[in-house]
Amino acid sequence: MSYFKSIYLFVILPIIALIYNLIPKKRQWFLLLANFVVFYIMGKFRLIFLVLSIISVYFSARFIKKAEDKKEELLKKKDADKKVINEKIKKKKKLILVLCLLFNVAFLVVFKYLNFFSTNINLLLNVFNVNYQFKMIHLIAPMGISFYTLSAISYIVDVYNGKVEAEKSFIKVSLFLSFFPQIMEGPIARFKDTADDLYSGKKIEHNNFILGYQRIMYGFFKKKLIVDRINPLVSSIFNNYASYNGLTIFMGAIAYTVMLYMEFSGTMDVVVGSGQIFGINIPENFRQPFFSKNVSEFWTRWHISLGTWFKDYIYYPISLSKPLKKLTVKLRHKLGNHYGPLISGSIALFVVWFLNGLWHGAGYTFLLFGLYHFIMIAGGNFMGPVFVKLTDKLHINRENIVYRVLQSIKMSLFVFIGEMIFRADTVKDALGMFKGIFTRFSFNFSELSIMGLDIYDYVVIVLSVIFVFVISLLKEKNIDVNDKLSKKKLWIRWIIYYAFILMICIFGAYGPGYEPLDPIYADF
Amino acid sequence: MEKLIEILEDLQPEVDYETNEELIDGRYLDSLTILSLVSEIEDEFDVEIPTVEIIPDNFNSAKKIWALIERLKEE
Repeated sequence: MSYFKSIYLFVILPIIALIYNLIPKKRQWFLLLANFVVFYIMGKFRLIFLVLSIISVYFSARFIKKAEDKKEELLKKKDADKKVINEKIKKKKKLILVLCLLFNVAFLVVFKYLNFFSTNINLLLNVFNVNYQFKMIHLIAPMGISFYTLSAISYIVDVYNGKVEAEKSFIKVSLFLSFFPQIMEGPIARFKDTADDLYSGKKIEHNNFILGYQRIMYGFFKKKLIVDRINPLVSSIFNNYASYNGLTIFMGAIAYTVMLYMEFSGTMDVVVGSGQIFGINIPENFRQPFFSKNVSEFWTRWHISLGTWFKDYIYYPISLSKPLKKLTVKLRHKLGNHYGPLISGSIALFVVWFLNGLWHGAGYTFLLFGLYHFIMIAGGNFMGPVFVKLTDKLHINRENIVYRVLQSIKMSLFVFIGEMIFRADTVKDALGMFKGIFTRFSFNFSELSIMGLDIYDYVVIVLSVIFVFVISLLKEKNIDVNDKLSKKKLWIRWIIYYAFILMICIFGAYGPGYEPLDPIYADF
Repeated sequence: MEKLIEILEDLQPEVDYETNEELIDGRYLDSLTILSLVSEIEDEFDVEIPTVEIIPDNFNSAKKIWALIERLKEE
């Protein structure tokens, strides 16, 4: 299923919104039912796994709360030994947390990584001449498992750490983990982001409805005018890179990055817009990433919810663990403020990018993608002070607009290579493409015309990308076009809507010769 | 509070800590600086900052960091 399919945009979403609004009270019950029905139908009947996850985190959180209550009760007693009680309850809470985490991660491992692990173990067994092979089991993962599992983990860890109260209402926890616009491709929301809004069951407001549908239309524009149109070009370059020149391969990497951004951010437009219709503030997953100064900043603006998840639940817990904290303190005295924490930070960064690669899929290209980013970001951290000194010596103003643009271009070049690795079918292909870019120096215009795209396609793609760029630039300057448009007079708005819809109808990619791209992130 | 500002200025001198209220959101303090800052605060003020407290809301301004230190001292 894709959120761009007519069945979602013109049937599922409006029907759920309509019935939701017609129900006089307890709308949240209907919303939960709608979530489960959508998941059941679209997720090919694997609802049971989502429900098991919900049950496990709900009850684990309640057990943790019970343990906390018990602690308070015991501490009130006159002869209470605080230390013993605290230790005992802490152990109990930890046990509940670990069991809950294992239960949820186990599903993820079985559905996503079992075959990858089996293949690698079989290879090792072959190397050591062991006459045994693990069987491959072909399982289809439940829809959105990579997204809702991380949300579930964030909830239970936050409850354990006392950051979030263990929710009494089972409905509220269920709504938080199953909201139908969010279930397939995130964002990986935190409990405090959406749970209250979802549970409030408030009526749909006119302004939210307009804002929501406008946002959805913008996402649809990205998908129809850019993604589906550019897809044949990307496929033909990546599938036959060996027969193309270096510059064409590099253009393929750029085209893929543009396509991925438009597809994922466009989906997020539909997701956030759908939430907005119901008055639910789904957190933004993108913040104009291509205006970043470096790769590290890029990843705080691209797939934000995944980045912050890794930062909160992997990066800081590792880099601020007792042994690494000790190391930081020791090294700071010797190496100073910048290089002191670099080792602890880099160890944590390595784990983050290893897991980030693995999260995207069980394959070596994804691990290489993670390793590439680790090297880029750790290298950037290492070289940071050197660049600062260099620019100071050369009297370059780092806030100068030309310098900033050059920084963003340099950052984008690194990102294009990263996404090329991400898209390549095998590591060999990724390395082959990389080598091709730097060895096959020549460019032939005819190469671009044999990829199923004509001049008309290129014009539509380039103009549409410019359009998205301008909207993003305005957003970067805190001007929200969506918001501004929603405040215009009715007739002005409708003229713009008609023009926009007409544009999508005329210039969108339909019919033979185009390959509508399946959602990329739904597979992760 | 003065000591905290001293620490912050030592780690990242190019910021006005009296007025800046988006130290994290504005990327004035990156994650490596946070690692240094946390260990320095723990040393100086004899508190332990649990990782769950490392959220933008606690670190976006010198005032907020100070409030966090005060709270942790009380606990």
